[in-house]
Amino acid sequence: MDPENYDPEGDLMILNLGPQHPSTHGVFRVKLWLDGEVCIKAVPYPGYLHRGVEKLCEKLSYVMITPIVDKNDYVSPFINELAINMAFEALNAVETPRRANYLRTLGAEMQRVGSHLLWLGTFGLDMGGALGGGASVFMHCFRERELILDCFELWTGSRFHYNTLTVGGNRHDVPAGFAELVRQTYTLIGQRADEYDAMLVDNAIFRARTKGVGTVDAKLAMELGVSGPILRASGIDWDLRRDRPYAAYNEVKLDVPVRYEGDCFARYEVRMAELRESIRIVLDLIDGIPEGPICALKPVKLPGAYKGKVGQAYAAVEGPRGELGTWVIADGTDKPYRCKIRPPSYHAVSLIPYLAPGNNVSDIVVTLGSLDPILGEVDR
Amino acid sequence: MSVILENPWLLGAVAGFVVINAMMVTAAWSIWFERKFAGAMQNRPGPTQVGWAGLLQPVADLLKLIQKEDIVPTNADRALFNLAPPLGMILVLAGLAVFPWAPGWVPADLDIGLLFILSISSLITIPVWMAGWASNNKYALLGGMRAAAQAVSFEVPLLLSALVPIILGGSLRLGDIVAAQADGRWFALWPPGPGSVAFVLFMLASLAEANRIPFDIPEAESELVAGITTEYVGMKFGLIYLAEYLHTAVSSLLGATLFLGGWDGPGPDGIHWLLLKSFALFAGIFWVRWTLLRYRADQFMALCWRVFVPVSLACVAVAAVWRVYA
Amino acid sequence: MIGLLQAFSALRITGLNLFRAKNTEPLPWDGGRVRPERYRTSFALVHNSDGDEACIGCKMCEKICPSQIITVVPGGRAPSPNTGKPRGTAKDFTLDVNACIHCELCVQVCPEDAIVMLRVPEVPGFSREELFLSMEKLYANEKVPASWGTGALLIGMQAEGQPKPPPPPAKAAPPPATTAGVPEATPPAPAAGGGETP
Repeated sequence: MDPENYDPEGDLMILNLGPQHPSTHGVFRVKLWLDGEVCIKAVPYPGYLHRGVEKLCEKLSYVMITPIVDKNDYVSPFINELAINMAFEALNAVETPRRANYLRTLGAEMQRVGSHLLWLGTFGLDMGGALGGGASVFMHCFRERELILDCFELWTGSRFHYNTLTVGGNRHDVPAGFAELVRQTYTLIGQRADEYDAMLVDNAIFRARTKGVGTVDAKLAMELGVSGPILRASGIDWDLRRDRPYAAYNEVKLDVPVRYEGDCFARYEVRMAELRESIRIVLDLIDGIPEGPICALKPVKLPGAYKGKVGQAYAAVEGPRGELGTWVIADGTDKPYRCKIRPPSYHAVSLIPYLAPGNNVSDIVVTLGSLDPILGEVDR
Repeated sequence: MSVILENPWLLGAVAGFVVINAMMVTAAWSIWFERKFAGAMQNRPGPTQVGWAGLLQPVADLLKLIQKEDIVPTNADRALFNLAPPLGMILVLAGLAVFPWAPGWVPADLDIGLLFILSISSLITIPVWMAGWASNNKYALLGGMRAAAQAVSFEVPLLLSALVPIILGGSLRLGDIVAAQADGRWFALWPPGPGSVAFVLFMLASLAEANRIPFDIPEAESELVAGITTEYVGMKFGLIYLAEYLHTAVSSLLGATLFLGGWDGPGPDGIHWLLLKSFALFAGIFWVRWTLLRYRADQFMALCWRVFVPVSLACVAVAAVWRVYA
Repeated sequence: MIGLLQAFSALRITGLNLFRAKNTEPLPWDGGRVRPERYRTSFALVHNSDGDEACIGCKMCEKICPSQIITVVPGGRAPSPNTGKPRGTAKDFTLDVNACIHCELCVQVCPEDAIVMLRVPEVPGFSREELFLSMEKLYANEKVPASWGTGALLIGMQAEGQPKPPPPPAKAAPPPATTAGVPEATPPAPAAGGGETP
């Protein structure tokens, strides 16, 4: 349907899906023009969660930024830290130690599993409701996610906003007993992943709700700069971990799952395959972490301990939602001159005006859930 | 005592008082049961704080709801808005009047009892739609319209599947239907085929009528915030909520009566068998509710018309053939 | 109809979970389970081995705090009551946990290991004042089990195994000028030049 041919003032009902709505995964508003229950036009209005992170980065020294960007994509803080610190390291061409690289890879994959579990739970909530089977999926996913947070708690001392990476390496080395806990946890999650499939994929209702719904074709995805699982579900085989390896990914065996349908079900399949793949990587890595230092630079003892060389750098990592990039311009002081964060969710959200028209409200909710936007990083 | 038994008005009043209060209390504690049950499915304890194992949680909920400010939205249709919750409650409770609880225990022994229950409970769409329309809220309106749109599609298989025990039992009186299933010849088991399929269809359609997942499309809290109940607060919300539970309870009672032999069972017949069977059905409904996802409105209607209606028609035909030739 | 029968696989999973152990526990007002040793929540100021208040009022933590919630009022140099040696003191030290992001940077930069984080789960407060830690509250928290991390340990963990840095230029990183009471005992701060690879 062509939104332009409809008169917004005509016989259409305008429905504000959000900013406070159970399915918006944060604070997000989509303005829907509805004909009956069928959407004619949809306009997303992000920005309710804007905290001025990029401006804040200009006011804080390099070492103080890491705990701030933790809160951008608030379900995968480790990967945020990785992205921003990689940019700062690229700025001064700092080579991180091999052990730090391995720990970063390990942490990123552990975090990816946690992030995908949260997505799966909320996706269930979107389809099954807070008072139904969706809540069961949600609770089961969170049950396992808590175990992941326990691992991080043991490693970094914090369950969520770790501040465990710093410019040049890591702040925390893994403690004793960590490998055993991770092995147990991720083996268990690997078994439980089959239960999620049994609850969802084997269920005709789930398939009816997701197959053929919210189809993103590859061309549209490329035009909008969508990345990550959404892109891979549309048939484009692109994964920064494999194609632009960072940290220790060039030493890790990695299969990139790709689906070609582009609908919600394909996105589900890609994410579940990634979840299993990440579990496998974690279990592979946990025993093979090389010995050595964890930080290439001298540990931070002063706020202005790290000064960026004049210049600019871009570094991107493959987050759970796609390419999470940081572009930093430095003017030689201890603070970045400009710090631009490229959040994958922002590009995912920009799909909504293309996906929503022609669908009814139920499908829009499912589509939104399958895009997995995290509004913290959309609005920054 | 004899005064009460001889005067039909007094008898009706006393029986009604007892049944209504018993059902209200049951419904209140069924919420506790559901929360515990759902908690167990999700590996969490459920309510624990109020009373032993949270048993007083319904009382606490009730006190909270009563204390809340009674808000009617601006520009809402005040009369309809206020009428909808009690009307829904009344319609659900009215169906209980003709239930045969045990041999001889029937508050009002109508000879068209089943017809009465089915017609009264299909009226439940009206207060739901009323609530959606009168709230002056777009989400509530969408919910009410969904309820109105899907009402026909689940009522048809509901009635057709209820036709099977009518044909097999040869009566519209619930007591006669139960009596026809005496000695373990429950319609869900005997004759094999139409009764059991009709039983499944009846329970599924009842899920839709009681707004339960997978068919809780008018409420659909992840899509429509809270659907028809979006604007309701306090005790009016409480009434709608309680009416849904009561409706689920009535549906399980009806399912147990029509297909599982009512008060019949091994050993002495009586109300305990009915309660046991309907409790099993009730728990089954909650098991389904806390496991499955929700259908989309159009998918649900397609399912009703393309699957449920033909299958229930086939059940009716087979049952009729059985009735005539066997 | 076939699809509805497939729903039994989902029913099997929830049925299975009916008999699993409970995963949640009531809100642990009394501390709940034992936390890992690095667990970090609230803050405490500690006394050093001499029995002095370890904080020397160098304002390092105030400078590095991303949320700017720490306020230190240096008290100037004064002879220690225990050893008699002159050392810096803090007249006042406040920390507003309301805005704390628990990044542990203040602990890491403390040259005297004076500020540490606590290992017990935070108990929710009922007013803003309860989360505002004054100097008395911070020193009272010293009795609460502390987290593993101290400045020296964190620095040690990060520096572990790396080649010894060349001796820093004597005055490459002078202590912040505002601190009147930084004693000579302060370990020389790492070169502020930063960014150099070992």
